[in-house]
Formats: sequence, structure tokens, C-alpha cells
Amino acid sequence: MDRIIDVVHVFMLLLFVGWGIFFVHCLRRYRQKPGHAATYQPVKAKVSKYVEVAVGIFEAILLLVFSMPVWAEYKSSPPPADQRMEVRVVGEQFQWDFHYAGKDGVFGKMDARLITASNPLGLRVDDPADPGADDIVTINEFHMPVGRPMYLRLTSKDVIHSFSIPTMRVKQDVIPGMEIPIWFTAVDGATAEELRRQMTETFPVEKASWYRLRHHVAAIDHMGKDGEVVLAQGADLGPTKADGDEKLEALAKTGVTELTMQPRVPLEVVCAQLCGNSHFKMKALLVTHDQAGFDAWIEEKSNPVEPSFEDF
Amino acid sequence: MEPHPITGMYNGKFGIWLFLASEVMLFGALFSTYVLLRVGAEPGTWPRGDSILNVPLATFNTIVLITSSVTMVMSWASVKMHDFAKGRLYLTLTFLLAATFLVVKYFEYKAKLTHHQVELVQPVTLHGHDVLKITGHLGEQTDEFVMIAPDPPPEPDEHSSEPTRSSHGGHPEEMRIERSNITRVTDFGPRHSTFLAIYFTLTGLHGLHIVGGMVVILYFMITGASAWQTMPEKYTNRIECTGLYWHFVDLVWIFLFPVLYLL
Amino acid sequence: MSEHGHGPQGRHGHDHHGDEPGFWQKYVFSVDHKVIGIQYTITSLLFLFFGFCLMMIMRWQLAYPNSVVPVIGKYLGGAMASGGVLVGDGYNALGAMHGTIMVFLGIVPLGVGGFGNFVLPLQIGAPDMAFPRLNMASYWVYFLGGVVMLGSFFAPGGAAASGWTSYTPLAVTALSGQTWWLFGMVLLITSSLLGSVNFIVTTVQLRARGLSFFRLPFFVWAQFVTAFLLLLAFPPLEAAGVLQLMDRLAGTSFFMPSGLVVSGVPQTQYSGGGSPLLWQHLFWFLAHPEVYVLILPAMGIVAEVIANNTRKPLWGYKSLVYSVVFLGFMSFVVWAHHMFMTGMGTALSTFFQATTMIISVPSVIILTCLIISLYRASIRYTVPMLFALAFLPMFAIGGLTGLPLGLTASDIHLHDTYYVIGHFHYVVAPGTIFGLFAGIYYWFPKVTGRKMSDLLGKIHFWPSFIFINGIFFPMFFSGMAGVLRRQFDQTEQIHGAAAHGLTVMSSWSAWLLAVAQIPFIFNFFWSIWKGRKVTDNPWEATTLEWSAPSPPPHGNFATVPVVYCGPYEYSVPGQKTDFCPQHVALEA
Repeated sequence: MDRIIDVVHVFMLLLFVGWGIFFVHCLRRYRQKPGHAATYQPVKAKVSKYVEVAVGIFEAILLLVFSMPVWAEYKSSPPPADQRMEVRVVGEQFQWDFHYAGKDGVFGKMDARLITASNPLGLRVDDPADPGADDIVTINEFHMPVGRPMYLRLTSKDVIHSFSIPTMRVKQDVIPGMEIPIWFTAVDGATAEELRRQMTETFPVEKASWYRLRHHVAAIDHMGKDGEVVLAQGADLGPTKADGDEKLEALAKTGVTELTMQPRVPLEVVCAQLCGNSHFKMKALLVTHDQAGFDAWIEEKSNPVEPSFEDF
Repeated sequence: MEPHPITGMYNGKFGIWLFLASEVMLFGALFSTYVLLRVGAEPGTWPRGDSILNVPLATFNTIVLITSSVTMVMSWASVKMHDFAKGRLYLTLTFLLAATFLVVKYFEYKAKLTHHQVELVQPVTLHGHDVLKITGHLGEQTDEFVMIAPDPPPEPDEHSSEPTRSSHGGHPEEMRIERSNITRVTDFGPRHSTFLAIYFTLTGLHGLHIVGGMVVILYFMITGASAWQTMPEKYTNRIECTGLYWHFVDLVWIFLFPVLYLL
Repeated sequence: MSEHGHGPQGRHGHDHHGDEPGFWQKYVFSVDHKVIGIQYTITSLLFLFFGFCLMMIMRWQLAYPNSVVPVIGKYLGGAMASGGVLVGDGYNALGAMHGTIMVFLGIVPLGVGGFGNFVLPLQIGAPDMAFPRLNMASYWVYFLGGVVMLGSFFAPGGAAASGWTSYTPLAVTALSGQTWWLFGMVLLITSSLLGSVNFIVTTVQLRARGLSFFRLPFFVWAQFVTAFLLLLAFPPLEAAGVLQLMDRLAGTSFFMPSGLVVSGVPQTQYSGGGSPLLWQHLFWFLAHPEVYVLILPAMGIVAEVIANNTRKPLWGYKSLVYSVVFLGFMSFVVWAHHMFMTGMGTALSTFFQATTMIISVPSVIILTCLIISLYRASIRYTVPMLFALAFLPMFAIGGLTGLPLGLTASDIHLHDTYYVIGHFHYVVAPGTIFGLFAGIYYWFPKVTGRKMSDLLGKIHFWPSFIFINGIFFPMFFSGMAGVLRRQFDQTEQIHGAAAHGLTVMSSWSAWLLAVAQIPFIFNFFWSIWKGRKVTDNPWEATTLEWSAPSPPPHGNFATVPVVYCGPYEYSVPGQKTDFCPQHVALEA
């Protein structure tokens, strides 16, 4: 099921190559030549009918054996309530708000009149008796444990957005007035550190482009000719293209020939439905933890006396 | 203009039927919108048509429109049987009936647009109850407050007030509402609710189609005499096509009326 | 000319012009289908060029984000750019207008209004359309609609910027020229409706004697089905446009759900209770058949050119006809495959996936018939034929890449990525536009009496073919990598940054493609006056339009044609020439 995209593409390639071979053959063989006329009724072919039927059957297989069952399972079997981690996600122009239920396990209600920049969901934070008092809300930062089913309840405050984690093939439109659930599980071991490690790559300095590397940081200390550190581990190439070009030029001069870089944040939540002029910037950092790390993060964020929110 | 062997129709008639097919899709889309909005509405929020709209007036209008379809057919039948004078008489009657329909519609719309609803932040006591919405007629309005003469209390059934029954003779006294306590003030026009939005859109578009038909009928009333002299057969066919259009407009109303007013 | 006889020619209700018409009536407010066809063609080509220019600006921002746009950067102002650098709203406006202009002001008016109007009456042996004045009206309403659309650029908030799809609530709350867009659409839709009535009545009722339905050229069938799609699919979008106008102007809540909060401000002025998905359903109900409106006229042209340049009948004519009619029907029941990601459940998605798979079958049949038509042919590589042949693999790629999009499971990953952009552009750009180029080179001699230069045509074709693939093929890879569409700065997201090299390649291919059009533009205008003069039937074709003079006079045919055989009687065994025109009886 996981490979349905590959299966379809192989099928597509076969069809295209098949057609293509016949096509090119005809183009060459049947050029207009003196003494050769076209054949008025060349083929009463059964071949094409068989091919057509075969194509139809294969499409039916793709549909009935692959896509429909996958979709049905995807849509109608949410993970059981006792195993899943439930998070509410609210999209708005232009940020993602992530709402965790806190120790009491109950989500507070949204009140539009209480909305401020630091309280984007309008929770009743001042009333200790309210279920929302102990909730955790983060803006543009989504923390989740790996290896455990996530159950996200998606909605929007203003226009249609789309919650997408491309690397995990997660995508769901986020529609105001509707709450749409999705569920997925991140593969065990897909923690941020591990992913950063896996996504480390080397780039020749001469051909490096700031555009390509703007989200990357150095994976190791880079030494110049004289042995000094010219690009420290964790440093990036600067916030703008001008800075980046300058930095790359400087690095080249110090004798560094290749850069070993890794993404600063390997996973992102992005918005996949046009939502206005900052649609392209509407993204959240996705930080994956193992279960212990996640629990620690929750502990850090929860404070029984005063709820804390990310200030922007 | 001979009919074509395959379709059995002359060009104009075939053309009108095709146009009507597209009109079916147009009004069909709006009826589908009605269904979707009604099905998606919070339970209890979608009003019954007869609680907000004036059914007697609309019934009268239905009769007017159906009669106009009859006179339209009679007009065509008359010119088909070479009686131009009668044809023109029936055409004029159709025009007048259509105008009547529009006049009634004008009064319906006006009643809606001069009636208002004030939605409140904190409840206010009215007729012995605490309410978050007051319907009635607006008085003075400033930046600080709004004066409204509330409608009399509704009949002892669940539906909201009947606007056209409020007696304008004896205004109940006006209430003053502070702007700070108001979420919004709206008339009973399309912005009031999705029900009224689709009501005004459907009846408004239908009304525009009536106006269009009237323009065409007026044109034939004015140019009919000379057309009858030079091209009687063509003129007859044009009346027939107009009639087909007119029946369609009538048919749309026959669906509109029960759906909007009675359900 | 006896235009009022009792035969088929007398049915068109054509009015007397009396004396020779003046300049205005002859060239501007003409009711002659040929003049109207030319008007549509010139206007739509200008719009296509303009839409292409918008794209070229966008491609600069994509390749070199946040840098000054060369040459015209300083002229961009207002809501669109700041200091010569595009801003987010400006980029979105260019995107929305590019899509809208190409689809509604460019391709459809050219394929249907231009080619359909000029060629169809000639191909069926008619002196004009059934309703010539209606025809003229539909052109001018289109023109007005185009002007209103362009007016969007001068609105205070800038041009409409919510995608050509205008999803709500974004389009309702946007401060842009969206209202102009909506009015423009209402006018354009009206123009299409008027035109489609004309095409259907003409095709059914004005055919020459002997021209039965199964003797019609495939081009006519394609236009006929297209007209039905326009007639029946457009009205829901007209309704939706009115509803969105009301939401924007009259404060209604058709598409506005309750509880909206925009920028921290609760939107209490709306009653709420509306549905954003309602817009999507109404929009896509049209927009899906619309994409078949985009492809069918071009398919029709390609069929004509292939038959003519293979010197044999099209293979599987009946299959072609049944397929195109079936395609027309099916196109009405697939629309929600554009909405798989909206939270659709299993019942609805099962239905639409199935219909989407089914609709691929007639497309495959049509493509296969056209390819098999090359078998045992005698292929002439004329310029129109080059474009027509290129259409085939390009349409194949476009069609095939629709498969993973039509299956919901794979669509999750690919939806709203560059894969989609690659898919539909392959069908419309190297697909339809190449088909339309084929038509221009093919029918130019009929319209003007002169041929376009073959050399310039080939210089136009080869670079265009290479660069257009250079633009769109990398997009499949970008999309697979997760690069999303409608992104002002793709590098803001990590996948966009990683795939940036592909984006640069697409941008340079686009600019080079523009350069490759220069020989065409020159060739087109130069040949009108200086092209080599040719006979009435320079391609030795069989269909009826080639039996009329070049250019045909008002009323088209000196003598009323009578049809004796099918549309593609080429290389008939035992005949003296390798083509037998439809209006000439085959020798026994």
C-alpha cells in the first residue's frame, strides 16, 4: 500500500514507453516516400482493443485493490483513544497554533473575545477552575512523540489552510467552521537528532547556493588553511542572500572546499492551500522526541500555577 | 423558417430550448445551494418559510404569474391563427400581470429591508424575557446608541416574529440600546441569515428574469404591428419562443414558492 | 448570391445587408462568422501573450527570490511590488490572473471562439452560424469581460489574488480586485453561453445535404461536445459568482461559516452559517468540464491535421466519436476529485475516484486511435503536422500524470504540489497550445490566401518543443519532493530550498520559450501581407472548408455543397488522386 505511488508510476512508464515505441516506429517507417501510398484501411486490429481492456483492468485493480482500501482504512480507523496523543491544531493567517490538553486531559473552549497575540485561541487562562487553564498552546512549534499514534483535530479561524508534513505524506485541508481529524504515527527513531544526522550532506563550496542552504547549519567545525574555525558547528550562512554570497566567498578564500551541512530543523509543518500574502511563510517547526523527551517537554511547558505560552 | 428534419424545430425554437437547459442548471445550482445550506445549518436555526415570509402575498403572486403564462399562450395561439389584434391584447395582459408581480415583490422586499434586528452582547429584558436579539423598527441612531421600536411579542409558538403584522399604528415605545452592547445591527435583507440570503438571491434572480422577459414582450408590443406586415410567420415564431421562456420563468416560481415559503 | 433559398442555406435567418456594408459593419460589428472568428483569434492571442508575460515575471521571483525584477521591476508598483521586488500579494495576484487569463481569456476563446467560429460553418457547408447577431454579441461580451478582468489590476488592493479558483473565505475577505474578477467572470460566462447555443443549433440544423452526423469531421464533433459542456457546466459557476459577489458586497454568508476570526477580530458582521465547501463544489462543477473544453478543440484540430498529413482516413473514427461523446458525459461527474483533501469520507471519494478512473478510458482511446492512424500512413512532415505530432506524447504525459492524482491515496502526497502544475500544464501548454499552433499554421491559407513560411515555422517548433518540456518536466520531480504550489518564495520551506535548482531550470526554459515565439509572431504578421500566395486547397485536404475560396466571401460557398462521402477519403484505392473531397462523388 505504501508503494502505491511507485506502482502507478511504473504503470505510467510502461504505457508511455509502449505508446512511444510504436509512435516513433511509425514516424520513421511511414515517412512519405515516392512510390509508397498510404494504406486506406490498414488494420482491423483486435490488438488495440485488447490493450484497451488490459489498461481498463489494471486501472480497476489500482482502484479496487490499492487506492480504495487504503483510503477507507486511512479514513475510518482512528487509533483508539487510550493509545493516541490528541492535539488540536488551529490554522490562521499566518501561523499554526498547537493546543495540548494539559494535565487534566480536557481541552479548554475557544472564546473569540479573549483572543490576543499571546493567547491566540482565546482560552480562559485566568480562571483556574476552567479546563483551559492548564492547557498548553504553542505557536509555530509542534512537538510530538515518535512511535505513538497522533490524533490531530484540525480547524481554522479565518480561511482555508492545509496542514501538511511533506516528509510524512501528511496533508489535510483545514477549513473554518469544520473540525477535521487526522491520524498518523511517526516512525520509531525519527527523532530530530536522528533525522539531522541522516540528512547531513556535503556540498562543494564553489557551486554552493545560499538558496539551497538557507535552512542548513554546519554539522561540524570547518577549519581554514590556518587551522582556525571559519564555520563553527551549528552556524548558518546568514539570513539573506547577500550575506550568504559574502560568506561563501569568504569561505572559499580560506581554503575550505566543501561544506558539511545538515538541516537546522529537519521537519516542517507547512501550509498547502493558498491563504494570503504570507502563505509561503506559514510554517511550523516540527520537533520529534522519543517518549521520554516528549514527556519532559510537556513537563517543562506545564506549570500548575501559571500556564505558559510562547510569546511572539 | 422550416423545421429541421432531425429536431422537428426551426432554429430559434431549438436555440431557446438549449438556453432553457442552461437556465435549469443555473437555478438548479441555487436550489442545490439552498439544500446544502439548510442541511448544514445548526438544528433549530433554519426558520420555516411561513414564519418570516408573507405567504398570502406570495400566493397571490403565484396566481398572477400562472395567469400570465395562460395569457402568453393565448397570445401565441391567436397570432398562430392569424388574429393579430387578439394576440397583441393578450401580450399586453401578460405584460401587465408581470408588472403586478413585480409590484407585489417590491412591497415584500421593502418590508424586509425596513425591518431590523439588533444582536446584543449582554441580554436585555423585553416583554418579560431576557433576550439577546431584538427585532423591530429602528429610530434614531448615533455613535453611542440605537433606538429601536420592538415588535410585539410573538404568538405562543416557537417561531420568531412576523414582521408584517407589527401594527404601525400604535408603536410600542422605543428602547435605547448602547452601541457597546451591540454585536451587530442588520436589516432583514440578505445579510440577515443564510435563509434570507438564499431567499433574496433566488427571488431576485427570478425577478431579473421577469424583467428581462418584460423587456422582450414590450419590444414585441411596440414593433409587432410592422413585423406582422412584413414577416408574420417569423413574428409568430418569435412569440412562441418568448412564450417558452415565459413558461420556464413561471415554472421556476412554481418550485420557488413552496420551497421558500412553505417548507 | 441567393441566400434566401429554400434549401439548407435558407434556414439561417440571415438578415439583408442591402448595400455593401460600411467599415464598421464589415470589420468591427460584423455578423460574419469569419470576421468574428478572426476577432476572437487576435484578441485571445493578445491575452495569451499577456498571460505569458505575467508568468515570466513570476518565474523571476521563483528563481531569484526577493531580488529586483529586471527591466520592468521599476514599473511595478502599488500592491504588486516594492522597490522593484515583488511582494507576496503581487505574486499571488500574478498567479491568479495568469491562470484566469490563460484559461478564460486565452485558450477557450481561441479554441472555440476563434477556430470554432471560423472553421465550423465552413466544414459543414453552411453560409454562416445559425444566429449571426448572437455570435457578434457573444464576441463583444467576451471583449467587455476581458476589459473588466484587466480592470482588476487597477483596483486599490491590486488584482485578484486568490488563485483562479477563488476559494472562499479567502476570496471573500481579500482586499484585492476580486470583485472585478467576479464581474468579469459573469460577463465571460454569458458570452460562452450565447456562443454555445449558436454552435449546437448550427451543427445540428445547418449541415449541408448529405452531411450526416457520421460524416462530420472530428473537429466538428469536438466543437459540438465542447458546446454542450459550456452550455450546461457554466451556469453553476455563474450562480456561484453571484453568490460570492453578494458575500463581498451585500454582506451575506453563503460561504462564511460562523465564528470567523480574522487577524484577531471576530467577524460578527456576518450571520455565519455558510459553507466554504459550497463554493468549491459549485466552482469545480464547472471547472472540471472546463478542462475538457480546453483540450477538445485542440484534439479536433490535431485529428484534422493528422488525417490530412497521413493521407489516409483516421483510424477508428467511430471509436473517436463515441469516446468524445462519452467523455463529455463523464466530465460532469468527476469534479470532486479536486476536493479529495477537504475531509471527504469514503462514500464520496469512492464514487469520484471510480468516475475519474473511468473517464481516463475514452481519453486513452482517443489518443490510441490518433497514434494508430500513423500506421501504414504516408506522413508529410509539414509544420502543422510537427505540432500535431508533438501533441500526442505531450498529451500522453499530461494524461498519465493525472493517474496518481486521481487515486486518493497517492493524491495525499501530491495534492497542491508542483506535480499538479506539471500535470495540467502538460495537457494545456504542450498539449492544447501546440494543437492550436497546428491549427494556425494549417488554416492560415484559408483565412488569408497565403501560406506562412515553413522555415520560420520549423524554427518556431523545435526550440518551443524543447523549452516547453524544460519548463514542465522538472515540476514532476519538484512536486514529488514536496514543493508546494502558489509559493511566493519556495526556498522558505526546506523542500523548496532543496529543489531550487529545478525551479531555476524551469524559469530559464520559460524565458527561452518566450524568445522562441519571436519567429512565430513575425511569421504570422509578415505572412498576412507577404506570405506566398497559394491555391484554395494547398494541403490537398478533403473537408468542405477547402472547397471554398481563400478567403471565403460573405456566404462562403459560390454553389451550395452537397456531400457524398466521409471526411477523410484519402488514398482511396482506384482513385486518380490521393484525396477525394467530401463534396465530390467518388468515381465508380
